[in-house]
Amino acid sequence: MATPTNVIRIPKPSRSAFNMERPLAKNSLLMNQVKHLLELEKTLPPKQRTGTDPKSITTEGSAAEYIRKMTDILHPRVAKSGGR
Amino acid sequence: MSAGLDNLKHVVVLMMENRSFDHMLGALKKQDPRINGLTGTESNLDTTNEPAKVQPLAQFQSQLDPDPDHHFPAVHKQLFAGAAGPPAAPTMGGFVQSYYDQRKDVNHSRQIMFYFPPEKLPVLTTLARSYAVFNGWFSSIPGPTICNRAFAHYGTSFGQVGMNLFYPKTPFLSIYDRMLKAGKTTKLYYYDSASSTMEIVNLLKNQPKIFATYPQFLEDCRRGELPDYSFVEPNYSDHLGDGGGEELASDQHPDHDVQAGEIFIASIYNAIRQNPDLWKSTALLVAYDEHGGIYDHVPPPACLADGFTATEQDTGVPGQTFAFDRLGVRVPAILISPWIPKATVIPGTEDPVNGRIFEHASIPATVTKQFLGTYNDRSPREKAALTFLDLLSDTMRPDADCPVFNFA
Repeated sequence: MATPTNVIRIPKPSRSAFNMERPLAKNSLLMNQVKHLLELEKTLPPKQRTGTDPKSITTEGSAAEYIRKMTDILHPRVAKSGGR
Repeated sequence: MSAGLDNLKHVVVLMMENRSFDHMLGALKKQDPRINGLTGTESNLDTTNEPAKVQPLAQFQSQLDPDPDHHFPAVHKQLFAGAAGPPAAPTMGGFVQSYYDQRKDVNHSRQIMFYFPPEKLPVLTTLARSYAVFNGWFSSIPGPTICNRAFAHYGTSFGQVGMNLFYPKTPFLSIYDRMLKAGKTTKLYYYDSASSTMEIVNLLKNQPKIFATYPQFLEDCRRGELPDYSFVEPNYSDHLGDGGGEELASDQHPDHDVQAGEIFIASIYNAIRQNPDLWKSTALLVAYDEHGGIYDHVPPPACLADGFTATEQDTGVPGQTFAFDRLGVRVPAILISPWIPKATVIPGTEDPVNGRIFEHASIPATVTKQFLGTYNDRSPREKAALTFLDLLSDTMRPDADCPVFNFA
């Protein structure tokens, strides 16, 4: 399938590209994703809620952690199996 | 029907984030004048009335910070630059002035005109030159992510021009619901739980069975178990994975690293490419949801109204309602299959005779046509949208003619 003439080598991103501490305010898409989930969480039964303080979600890393908790609540089958 | 279409069993759509056509692919015009990219002379006036020209100086990261505004009022300014709005044609002259509004730094605002030289984007430019690149694929709305992605899922945004995810009493089914009702298979693959999907409320809550993750996509490709229709979402955040390793955002949304997105695109392509049965029976579309506030030189055309009207309050632009009767800014879109002749260029607005205009409603329109046939209960925009599988030809290209990416 791959021959020397059709293989394209792709460089890796810089190690410094990763930044979980990037302020959430710098990414309107993530901010909105968190906002939507916070709204959705209010509609869940109290036992299912994460109890996360919205004010604690200030960085990309903390946003991702909150999104993970909510996705696992909404979609527990994927959380365990990846979708099978 | 072409042999390529006859062999087609799977359609896969990968939707990336927030980059304009010229920013990513505009430099390819120098390699192939049929590609409606940049001549190098395009410019916008900055806030001191000096021209800011396009330059091949785009960086992978740390340049578009803050995230360029791409909500309806900002895009309105980018398109019309203070001149009369619709029905007048967009001037594409307000990108620099719009970006200036955010940081009040003239030199910084000029960076919104920067574009990538092809050698910095080996994956996207190789795919564009190896398969079919669309000169005229536009975002569906001159606005942000969610309403544009809605067109890819539903063929409409139900009158939304912003980031509102809540669509009560929607009159049209998502493409996934349509497929399931017809007994077809479909999956929406998100990266992982921490990245999740941009369709949380409507689909994840109501149709959890259609979702799976990126590792599952790779496994489904390896095992030859890809569904009829797949939609793939990149990783939207830098976060730690389940094993504690660093998961770098791959969506290319500013200010995320563009190279990480290149590798993600390559991984989706390779996963299909490396299963011979899948390769000959799959069409992969790589498209960007919207331009992210970044310069493009092609004025978005008018389109059929969608039957909804956003109010002045919705648009945020004084005196400006919106009937969903014109498209958003042009974005990169590439159709990939061994049945597509090498270096295919689909003309757009630059060719009044042969040009074809696509938008994200073309995605559910194409999937519906291919897998469901006649289906009337769709938005006016989706019914009017062009489909793209006619680009598959009668001849399958030899393996050695199709690239493979090595990113190990």
